[in-house]
Amino acid sequence: MGNAPGGAARGRPGGRDLAKALPWIAPALALILGVVLFPAGVMFFNSTRDISQSGVDKGSVGFDNYVEVFSFPYFWPIFLRTIVWVVVVVVFTVLISLGIAQILNKAFPGRRIVRLVVIIPWAASVVMTTMVVYYGLEPYFGVINKFLVDVGLIDTPEGYGWTRNPTTAFVWSIVIAIFVSLPFTTYTILAGLATVPSDTIEAAKMDGASPARTYFTVVLPQLRGALSVAVLINIINVFNSLPILKVMTGSIPGYDADTIMTMIFKYIQNQHKVDVASALSVVAFLIVIVIVAVYVKVVKPTREV
Amino acid sequence: MKKSHRFGAIALAAAATLTLASCGFGGGSSGGDASGKTTLNLLVPSYSDNTQGLWEDVISGFEKANPDIKVELEVQSWDNLESVIATKIQGGEAPDIYNGGPFAGFAADELLYPAKDVVSSDTYSDFQDAFLANAEVDGTAYALPLIASARALFVNNALLEQAGVAAPPTTWDELLDAATKVSALGGGVAGYGMPLGSEEAQAEAAVWLWGGGGSFGDASKITVDDPANLPGAEQIKKMIDAGATQADPGSTNRSPLMDIFVQGKIGMQVGLPPTVGQIEEGNPDLDYSIVPIPTKDGSAFTLGVMDQLMAFKNDDSKKDAITKFFDYYYSADVYVPWVQTEGFLPVTKSGAEALSGEEALKPFLDVLPDAQFYPSTNPKWSATDGAFKSLFGQIQTKSAQDVLTEIQAQADAG
Repeated sequence: MGNAPGGAARGRPGGRDLAKALPWIAPALALILGVVLFPAGVMFFNSTRDISQSGVDKGSVGFDNYVEVFSFPYFWPIFLRTIVWVVVVVVFTVLISLGIAQILNKAFPGRRIVRLVVIIPWAASVVMTTMVVYYGLEPYFGVINKFLVDVGLIDTPEGYGWTRNPTTAFVWSIVIAIFVSLPFTTYTILAGLATVPSDTIEAAKMDGASPARTYFTVVLPQLRGALSVAVLINIINVFNSLPILKVMTGSIPGYDADTIMTMIFKYIQNQHKVDVASALSVVAFLIVIVIVAVYVKVVKPTREV
Repeated sequence: MKKSHRFGAIALAAAATLTLASCGFGGGSSGGDASGKTTLNLLVPSYSDNTQGLWEDVISGFEKANPDIKVELEVQSWDNLESVIATKIQGGEAPDIYNGGPFAGFAADELLYPAKDVVSSDTYSDFQDAFLANAEVDGTAYALPLIASARALFVNNALLEQAGVAAPPTTWDELLDAATKVSALGGGVAGYGMPLGSEEAQAEAAVWLWGGGGSFGDASKITVDDPANLPGAEQIKKMIDAGATQADPGSTNRSPLMDIFVQGKIGMQVGLPPTVGQIEEGNPDLDYSIVPIPTKDGSAFTLGVMDQLMAFKNDDSKKDAITKFFDYYYSADVYVPWVQTEGFLPVTKSGAEALSGEEALKPFLDVLPDAQFYPSTNPKWSATDGAFKSLFGQIQTKSAQDVLTEIQAQADAG
């Protein structure tokens, strides 16, 4: 930057710098405009329209679609279930991942293979993983049901309809969601563990700290950065997750196993209300923003250790 | 630095949320006619593994006879079909010819050609009158009947014999009695297979509610919450409470349950003509018979379903090409093998004649005169259909009246 007038200008970029930077950031800007802002605009626009079942736009209705979303008698149970879904999945995912990452961080024979194995749920399609469990849970022919019948835990010969009842279907969905979230979370934490300097742990050992104490007061605080990324991305991912619940609870009548995402899907698929679905999408979008804002405010994940 | 991190987190949240929200906007197919040919876009659902091949045969035959017309085929699964068509219409990419179920919504939005305008008068008069009447909105047929199907009760003879039931049931009381006895055999055997899950809840609902003298309404009014529908709904509850059905009927889908019947673990279940082929393929040794669906008083009844072809008004220059295609398709030489391979019943007079000697279709052709249809010409039918799919299964746990009221409310709101 030979022609830069001075150090002060470098700190506060002016219009000229922006113009110079534009060619470099333009592709990214175009992408954000086209892929994020434009669909968001269309979504918000649709949420204020009256769109017929066959998809014809019949004009503006103001915020009527939002009224419909909030006056739906099952909205609040669905909202609470969504929160339960996110909190339970994220908490268990992070706790289990912390354990797995700790094991994978130790040198042992075959570690490379075990590390690869942990990636498998990530590499496999979520729908595929879910379908495998779904069929395993089917009465009459599912292997999981067959196993439970054979060991005598279920006494009806055709097995239990795990995916036919809202509560059990929802619990199994949570288990699958945790399973598929583990690889990403584990690897993020593993990366965090790699940055913990070994001399801090050595120092703790020299001072006679117990392994538990070393972990909670030396290692864990240094994982703050990695953990906050893992939690944040998991919250967003899990909140927006449709396929698992769609497969696991799809055949259940009523709205006793729905989250906001499956409800959006039901508005489109069963009721053909693209307008109301858009309104609920906007609401979901705001909820995620609020959750993330609260998380950032309370946990302050970006604060230096 | 802190600020930008926080902003980054929110931007990330935004991007991730929007990815899901925006996935409803799919692309459509474009009707490019570079060589001066007329291109017809054809959107059809998949009835079986044969569907794509059958349509490809029709198209190649048609293109050979009409070298100036090109037909682009798109096959979708039934699950996706209605969202695909809605997305295409919203994007101004409606297909020229569409094979689907409910069409009254499209007719109300003035998107369709009247049937008379897109077939020759010979073809038009060859349709069975009852089917054509079922495609009318305010006296004008907006869709062409494509295939028909009727339902009948499939009975596992071996299981009924084992349970000591002498003859297949013809009334609800006999059905309840027979199904309870079969269920009592134990070993995972269920007396009556009752699929009220989201896949096709409206069909099983119709079998019961209409069999008790009810109806879903007509072209102008949806009447699900009607006292006439209560006996049927109460009888469903009676069957469930007596343990005469498989477990969790409210969330069991039809296709997987039919597989269990084919395996010989269910005493009785309502099936369709293609079920015959399914048994042939999956378990040819199954000893079964096909009888009319039992009703409250034993009177004959079947649920008829008709799927239609409809032509969208995209570009008036394509009208002639569409007419040519329909006339070609409905000629007996093309149409009959098509219907026969798919295992459905023909809707043309010439087709019915050609297939009258078919043994497997006979039980269904016999009940066809007593067929009642969904009120599919009612613009609210699509919403009603969706309401049945997502709500009717609750009858397993809720009171019959509550479920009917809830479905009516959702149908009216649609």
